[in-house]
Amino acid sequence: MSLALPGMPRLHPRLRRRELGLLLIVALALPVGSASLAATRALGTATSPPIGGIPLADGVALAWYLGGLFAAHFLLVLSGRRTDQVLLPTVGLLGGISLLLMERLPQGLAGGLGLGRTQLVWLLVSIGFIAGIGALVRSDAWLRLYKYSWAALGVGLLLVTFAFGHDVNGQRLTLTVGPLTGQPSELLKVILVVFLAGYLSENRPLLIEESTRLGPIRIPPLPYLAPMIAMWALALSIVVVQRDLGAALLFFAVFLLLLYVVTARASFVVLGLLALFAGGALLYELVPHVRVRVDIWLDPFATASGSGYQVVQALHAFARGGILGTGLGAGLPTIGGAPPIPALHTDFPFAALGEELGLIGIMGILGLYLVVIERGLRIAASAVDDFRAILAAGLSLVIGVQAFIIAAGNLKLIPLTGITLPFISYGGSSLLTNGVVVGLLIALSDRGAEAPRIPSELRGFRRLRDRGAA
Amino acid sequence: MDGTVIAIWVLRLLFLAGIYAFLWAVVRVLLRDLRAAAREPGAELGRLVVVASPSGEPAVGAGFSLDAVTTLGRDVNATILLDDEFVSGLHAALTYRGRAWYVEDLGSTNGTFVNGSPVDDIALVSFGDELQCGNIRLRLERPRR
Amino acid sequence: MTPDRPGRRPGIGVALGRVAVALTVAFGGLAAGAGYWQVVRSGELSSAPDDAAVIAAGRHVVRGEITDRDGERLAWSLTDANGEPYRKYLSNSLSGVLGYASRAFGSAGLERAYDAQLTGITSADPVQDLVKKFRAEPSDPQAIQTTLVAQLQEAAVRALGADRGAVVMLDPQTGDVLVIASTPVFDASAVADPETSAQAFGSLQGDPDKPLLPRATQGRYVPGSVFKIVTAIAALGSGAVSADTTFPEQPAGEKNGLVVSGYRVRDGHHGSTGSVALDFAGATEASCNIWYALAGLRTGGDALASWAGKLGFGEPIPFDLRTAASQVTGGGGSFGGGFTDAVELANAAYGQAETVVTPLQMALVTSTVANQGILMRPHLVRSFTGRAGTQDVDPEVWQRVLTSGQAREIAAAMQRAVEGPLGRQFTTGAQVNGLTVAGKSGTAELGGTGEPNSWFIGFAPAKNPEIVIAIVVEQGGRGSERAAPIGGDLLAAWKAWAGR
Repeated sequence: MSLALPGMPRLHPRLRRRELGLLLIVALALPVGSASLAATRALGTATSPPIGGIPLADGVALAWYLGGLFAAHFLLVLSGRRTDQVLLPTVGLLGGISLLLMERLPQGLAGGLGLGRTQLVWLLVSIGFIAGIGALVRSDAWLRLYKYSWAALGVGLLLVTFAFGHDVNGQRLTLTVGPLTGQPSELLKVILVVFLAGYLSENRPLLIEESTRLGPIRIPPLPYLAPMIAMWALALSIVVVQRDLGAALLFFAVFLLLLYVVTARASFVVLGLLALFAGGALLYELVPHVRVRVDIWLDPFATASGSGYQVVQALHAFARGGILGTGLGAGLPTIGGAPPIPALHTDFPFAALGEELGLIGIMGILGLYLVVIERGLRIAASAVDDFRAILAAGLSLVIGVQAFIIAAGNLKLIPLTGITLPFISYGGSSLLTNGVVVGLLIALSDRGAEAPRIPSELRGFRRLRDRGAA
Repeated sequence: MDGTVIAIWVLRLLFLAGIYAFLWAVVRVLLRDLRAAAREPGAELGRLVVVASPSGEPAVGAGFSLDAVTTLGRDVNATILLDDEFVSGLHAALTYRGRAWYVEDLGSTNGTFVNGSPVDDIALVSFGDELQCGNIRLRLERPRR
Repeated sequence: MTPDRPGRRPGIGVALGRVAVALTVAFGGLAAGAGYWQVVRSGELSSAPDDAAVIAAGRHVVRGEITDRDGERLAWSLTDANGEPYRKYLSNSLSGVLGYASRAFGSAGLERAYDAQLTGITSADPVQDLVKKFRAEPSDPQAIQTTLVAQLQEAAVRALGADRGAVVMLDPQTGDVLVIASTPVFDASAVADPETSAQAFGSLQGDPDKPLLPRATQGRYVPGSVFKIVTAIAALGSGAVSADTTFPEQPAGEKNGLVVSGYRVRDGHHGSTGSVALDFAGATEASCNIWYALAGLRTGGDALASWAGKLGFGEPIPFDLRTAASQVTGGGGSFGGGFTDAVELANAAYGQAETVVTPLQMALVTSTVANQGILMRPHLVRSFTGRAGTQDVDPEVWQRVLTSGQAREIAAAMQRAVEGPLGRQFTTGAQVNGLTVAGKSGTAELGGTGEPNSWFIGFAPAKNPEIVIAIVVEQGGRGSERAAPIGGDLLAAWKAWAGR
C-alpha cells in the first residue's frame, strides 16, 4: 500500500470513473455537432452556396482535440490524486463547442494557420496546462507566502504593457516579445486573485472583528483596507487608461465578492456597489470612450449604422436564432465575405452561438458555466484553510464573472466590454490563462487520501500495544 | 420534405440533446456529492485536544476535529500546525484505519512519543492517550456527538 | 476563540453558498435576457430590412413580383449576365411609392418595407414560416398585389408636370390607396440595374429637387385653408360650434380685420360676402378665415389638438411606408394644446401659424368626412401570394371620429365649396361632368415673397363617396390655379377607370 500524503509525490494511479463517463458523453456529442456542420455545408443554404463533398478536415481537428482530452484524463489518473472529476469534461465540452465554431467561421479571420487550427493548438496547450497543474502542483506555499511579490509582478506587467505594448482597436493590451504576442492583462487577473487570497486570509480575523461603524453601515477597518484599496485603484486606473473596461469591471466585481466571502457583511458589498456606480458616473462625464460605450448600450438602434452597429448586429443574430437556432454552419449570413458582426470570433462568439444553437443551446452553455462556478465554489467550501478557500473562490469567480460580463454585454444587458468568453472566444492568452485557473482549481480540490485499510503487516494490535506501552 | 434536411435536423437536435445529457449527468454527480456532504458533518472520527503548548500556537485547550488522515508539523501544509522549534516540518501523521487510530512518525528529528514512549515507525493509539511532538502535548479524545 | 478545524472559521461556507445562489440568479437573468431577444423580439428583428439575412437573401433570391390592383406588373426581376437577379419597374411614376431595390444601395419605399417578404425570409403566414424550415428550399418569396392603379398613378404624375408636389388618392370605405405619387420622379430601374446603378444613384443624391424624398408621405407643408376641415371636425365634434353657429363680429371682421389679443387677422374675401353673418356651410364655401378663427378660439387649443390627434396628427401615421408626423402647432406653449397664445390658435384654425401637414394626412382627414366619420386605416397591400397560397389583407377601422350626422354636415359644406356659386370660384377646375364632387381648396401662404402652396382635397361622389383625393403643388400659387384643376382631371380619370 502506498499512501499519497500532501507534499510527498508518489505514483498511485487511481481510476476516475466519473470523469471518464462524462468525457465519453462529450466524445459522443461533439462529433454529432461536427457532422451536423459538415452536412449543412454540403447542402448549402439560401444565403451561402453549397461546397462540394463533405469535408473531412473537420473530423481531423476534432479527433486531435478529443485525443488531447483523453490524454489529460490519463495524466490525472496517473497522478492518483483525489481531485475534482467534473471540471475537465465541462471545460472540454466548452472548448469543443469553441472548436466547432472556429472551424465554421471564415478561416481568414486569423493569420497563420487559420482560425480553426490556431484555436485547436491553443486549446490543446490549455488542456495541457490543466492536466499538468492539476496533476503536479501540490504545494501552495509559493502562492501563499509571496503575496506582495505577486502584486508587484502584476503591476509591473501592467506598466510594461502600457509602456511597450501596441494598440489594437484602441486598447493597449497586447505585448509582443519576439515571435509571441499575448495579452498580459489576462494573467493579471490570476495574479491579483492570488494576492487577494493571501491578503484576505491573513487579515480575515481583523476584517471581521474590527469594522468601523458609519451610522448603520459597517465599513472595513481603514488601516487594513487602505493598502488594498490603493492596490485596486492603481489597477483600475491603469486599466481604464488602457481602455480595458471589461477587466476593470471584472477585477472590481471579484474583489467585492471575495470581500463578502471573507467577512459575510452585505454592507461592504453595498458600499462597493455605490462606489462602483459613483465611479461609473464620474467616468461617464469625464471619459469620452466610456460615454460612447454607455450611450451605445442605452440605445444602439439610434446609431445602428455607426457606433451601435456591432451591438445591433449581435441582437439581430440572436433574433435570427430563435429557440432552436439555425443550425451550425447555417446562420451568420456573410456581408461581403465577412461575418455580419465585427470581431465575431473574439468579442461575440456568444451571439454567434445564439444564432446557430438557439435559445436552447445558449441556456445549455450558460448551464456549463454555472457548473464550473458551482464546482469551484464547492472546492472552496471544502478547502482545508482560509487561503485555499479564498483562492478557489476567486479563481472560480474569475471565470464565472467574466463569462457573465461578456454574455450580458452581448445581450445588451450591460454595456459591451472587450473581454473574452472563457474557453470559447478565440485567443491564446485567454485560453492559456483560463487553463491555468482550472488547473489550479483541480489541484486545490485534492481531498487527500481516503481512510486507508488495515495494513497487512500489522497483525493484531496486541503487539503494538506492548511496543507503545512504557 | 427533403431527406438531407431531415437528417440535418436530427443531427442538430441530437447535438443540443448531447449538451443537455452532459448537464444531466453532471447534475446527478452534484446531487450525489451534496447527499454525501450532508452525511459527513458531525461524523467525527475523533478529536485532538492541546494539553501543553509552550509557544502558544496552538493554544492550550484548543480542540481539533480529526479526519481519516491528519498530519502534524511546523510546515504550512500540515493539517494541524504545531509551532515549536523542536517540531519538524512534517512531524507525524494520525490515521484512522479500520476501527483504530494509529500514529506514524514521518522521520522527525526529535521523535514522536505516545504516553512518553517513543514511536517506532507506527504505533496504535487509543482514546485518552497523550501524543508528544517536540514540546507540544496533545490528547486523543472520543468524537463529540 | 478555539478553532474547530485548523485555520477555518464558520461563515465562509455560508457566504460561499450565498454567492453561489447570487450567481445562479444572475445567470438566470442572462437566460431571460436571451429569451427576450430570441423569442419576444425575434420576428421583428429578423424580418427588418437591415437584417443581414434579409440583405444577403436580396442578393441571391429572385424577389417576388409587385402588381397593381388590376394585376398589371409594376416591379419584376430580370437576370444579368452572371445569372444574378436585378429589378425592373414599369414606370417612373411609381418611384415615389415602390422605391427601388438595388444590390449596391439597398432598398427604399415599398421594396424596403417588405424586403423580408419579397425575398422570402418571412411570409405573411406564421405557420408557413415554421413549416418552411423543414424544406430544402426554405426561401419563399412572396408576390405582393397592391391597391394601386397604374394608369391613375401615371395620370397623376403627368398632371403635376414639372412642378414639385404630391397626389394621394384612396378609397374612404376600405382605406385602399389607389394613387400615391410624388414629383419629381426618378428612374428606379436605372438605380436597380447594376450597370447604371452607381451613376444613377449618385446624380439622384446630388439633385437639389430631392427626387428621393417621398413627398406624399414625408413631405411636410403649410396647409392653408384645407386645414379648416380639421378645425371643423374639432369644432363640431366637440360641440363648441354647431352647423348654425354665426359670429356677430365676423362681418365687421371681414372689412376691417379681426383683432385677437392685439393682432389683426385679415381675410381676403370680405368683399364678396357682404355684411352677412355666415353659418358653418357658408363660411366653408367662402373659405372665411374670420369665421374659422373665431370657431377655433371657441373650440380651444386643447380640443383642437386632441381632435386632430384622433385623425392621426402628432405621430407618424401607421402605414406600409414610413411617414412623417403632421402637427397643429410646434408645441411648447402654455395656452392649451401646446399653442403659445390666442393669436397662434386663431391663425392655426385656418391653416397658417405653425400647422404643417403631409398630403397623406390630409387625405385621411378627408376620408374621415367621406366615410361617415369613420377613419379606415390606410394600406397599400391587398394580398401576399407565396407557395402556400394567397393571404388577403383586410380593411381595418382605425378610429371612429365623428357621428355620421356631424360628418354629413361637413360633407355637405364641402360639396358647396366645390359646386356652390361662390365655392366654384375658389375651386375652378375641380368640377367633373357627371360626378358630384365635394372638397376644399387651399392657398397656403409661406411668408416672404414666394408663391403659396396650392392645395386641394376632395371626394366623389358627394353622397356615398368612393374616392378621396389630396393634392399639393409646392409653390403652385392659389388653390384654384394648380391643385384644383389637377383634382378635377384626376377625378375624371378615376371616373373613367371605375366605369362610373
